[in-house]
Amino acid sequence: MAKSTPTPVYDDQGRELIVKVENLQKYFGRNHVLKGIDLEVFKGEVVVLIGPSGSGKSTFLRCLNFLEDPTTGEIGIGGVHVTCGSHGGTFKKDVHQIRMKCGMVFQEFNLFPHMDATENVTEGPILVKGEKKAAAIEKAHELLRKVGLGERMDFFPSQLSGGQKQRVAIARAMAMDPVLMLFDEPTSALDPELIGEVLKVMKDLASQGMTMIVVSHEMGFSRDVADRVVYMDDGYFIEQGPPSEVFFHPKDDRTKRFLRHILPEKEPEHAKELGILEVDQELPAPDGPPAGSDASDDLAPDGRRVPLQGPAGAALNEDNLADTAIPEVPLSNGPMGETPLPPGDERL
Amino acid sequence: MHRRAGFASIGLFAALLALVLTALAPVALASGEASPSPSASFQAPQGTPVVLGVIPDPSGARTKWSGDQININLNLNGADLDPAASILTVDGEEIVLSTPASMIELSPGNPTLLMKWNEPVFAEGDFMFDVALFDTNGQPLQVYDERDGKTADTYSWEFKSEGEATGGSLINTEVMRKWFWYIAAGAIVTVELTVISIVLACIFALLGSLGRLSKKMTFKQAWDRYQSKEYMFRMVLGRIPYWVATFYTSLFRGTPLLLQIIVIYQGVPEFIKAFGLPDTYNPPAFWSGVAALSLNYGAYLTEVFRAGIQAVPKGQNEAAWAIGLSGWQTQRRVVLPQAFKIVIPAVGNDFIALIKDTSLVSVITVEELLRRAQLAGASSLNNFSTLLVAAAFYWALTIFFSFWQAKLETRMARDKAREKEKGKK
Repeated sequence: MAKSTPTPVYDDQGRELIVKVENLQKYFGRNHVLKGIDLEVFKGEVVVLIGPSGSGKSTFLRCLNFLEDPTTGEIGIGGVHVTCGSHGGTFKKDVHQIRMKCGMVFQEFNLFPHMDATENVTEGPILVKGEKKAAAIEKAHELLRKVGLGERMDFFPSQLSGGQKQRVAIARAMAMDPVLMLFDEPTSALDPELIGEVLKVMKDLASQGMTMIVVSHEMGFSRDVADRVVYMDDGYFIEQGPPSEVFFHPKDDRTKRFLRHILPEKEPEHAKELGILEVDQELPAPDGPPAGSDASDDLAPDGRRVPLQGPAGAALNEDNLADTAIPEVPLSNGPMGETPLPPGDERL
Repeated sequence: MHRRAGFASIGLFAALLALVLTALAPVALASGEASPSPSASFQAPQGTPVVLGVIPDPSGARTKWSGDQININLNLNGADLDPAASILTVDGEEIVLSTPASMIELSPGNPTLLMKWNEPVFAEGDFMFDVALFDTNGQPLQVYDERDGKTADTYSWEFKSEGEATGGSLINTEVMRKWFWYIAAGAIVTVELTVISIVLACIFALLGSLGRLSKKMTFKQAWDRYQSKEYMFRMVLGRIPYWVATFYTSLFRGTPLLLQIIVIYQGVPEFIKAFGLPDTYNPPAFWSGVAALSLNYGAYLTEVFRAGIQAVPKGQNEAAWAIGLSGWQTQRRVVLPQAFKIVIPAVGNDFIALIKDTSLVSVITVEELLRRAQLAGASSLNNFSTLLVAAAFYWALTIFFSFWQAKLETRMARDKAREKEKGKK
């Protein structure tokens, strides 16, 4: 009834509510991965999820378009509402509706290797939306030009570099005219010199007002583009706020510890600018949802990295054993997105 | 090197094919001759009491007879010769029959049947004997002679023997040449069996593998997840393809192919009769063979296809779902095209193996290579020579198809390499 024609909800700036997640929980067997997550995202917002491996970032993202079946909770995206844990025809139809409203970009690109770039992009519109082939190809070409692949529209994925593949993947997701774009570590599988081109496309998307949820440790990108940064750990949203708050004035100990981990030794000045490099000793790992205590007094004037013991309080399970190490992502000072960037400086 | 082998195989096969095609007409003639134990029966005009025929061919056209017996066919207007009512003599000696019979075998190796022939019958020379029938009172019965269309007391038969025929030397090129076309026609049947069976096997394998992969979670997991009887009921229905596919692969991989061939050929008519359908139904041997071969190979290929589908990265499914493709669209457009590429080498392998396994259907009288070689061997008395011809055909077919299989695979590899090169520039 009201499902199909919901009353739009707006925030104080008049932006439409695109994503509403209530008490989302996910178990893998007995392993409790998401422990009750609430999230509201308004139109045009860019939300960046950070957090250690196994904290549930990717799982949360994949739950949003039901690549993982959430155990319980409510998910509403673009006016389609689904109660998780149900089944049957209506559930399937709603999930399909949500998937059509979400574009998703994967860490491993997942392009269809037996189709060229254009076919990859037109597959969804033709099969799912029933668009005319000629119109779909026209639109695909336009999208591919937009992501800077006007020259390679008939190339097969095996003929493209990682960065080019990821840009095709973004075009493929955009071809379905999504209201929300989900990025699952889109640059983690890329060679460092290829990361910049993908981030630039994402930045362009954001500047055009696309609503985005991004799992990424590209701190420069987050700082420049994100409206909100969410630190996630042990299946909870520990802390969220504008990047200036979360990066420069983290409140929770675990956030501080995490940020300290992912800062490279090589950039102590920037780290100092962020005000989190004076940490020396292990901070006590609090349990449960955000504690909010300010432990900056405990920080010592030393830039040494603390060996990673595993995410605080997070049980390592089969799903995250493969990548227990947090990717060491350099945090650089350079502005993001100006092209062309010198190699090595493209990634921010 | 590779290329030369390829040309040689193409040339060889083209030659075989041409020979086989031109041989199709003579085949009919050859197959009439091939029957190893020919028999003739003589139709009598209406009302004649006793009709009697004798083989070997009494016309004398075939004088080089090497069979070890003579068959006398009796046609007593549809009834058997009853030993209690009539007595059969050959050259005046009574043939003692213990049961009613319509065909009497006179064997030189069995002197109780014909005492006077206790030495090899058909040594070189002229032979003649008279066959006669008497009733229990010793009165002769009228015997119909087809050759002159008259009835008489006795049936006289004479023929000239050129002596005992043999198959000649172990490898007899004359025999090989004589029976080459006859066996070559069997090669066509073999190829037909192979191609039709592998196509059907792939269809069975596709359905079987999708069935095998349709199980997503256990019943316990589903119950823990949804706690819904309605869901469980639908899940039981949805599990049927999995059960069917599992039963199918288990059964056909767990029993011998030869047994499957025989059971399908002989069991299907019984099955049909059991359901009250016309009991005159006889299954065509060829299609029974195709059914057995394709079901058996389909079971093996099911596992190959299943592995191929599972070898497609899970991310491909997820990417397809993420752009809104349904489950079936995902399979059809994304997973299966990639899976097919993965399984091509394995299917090629099974195709080569199937060429040779088709020989098993010779046991249900399908006249493919082996069966024809056996028939020709029986007729020519030189099994070894004709079987060698069949072996050569199998080998040639295998080389030919292996060549194309290798070519297909190298081409796939080359395409990949070329794509990579193009991507680099």
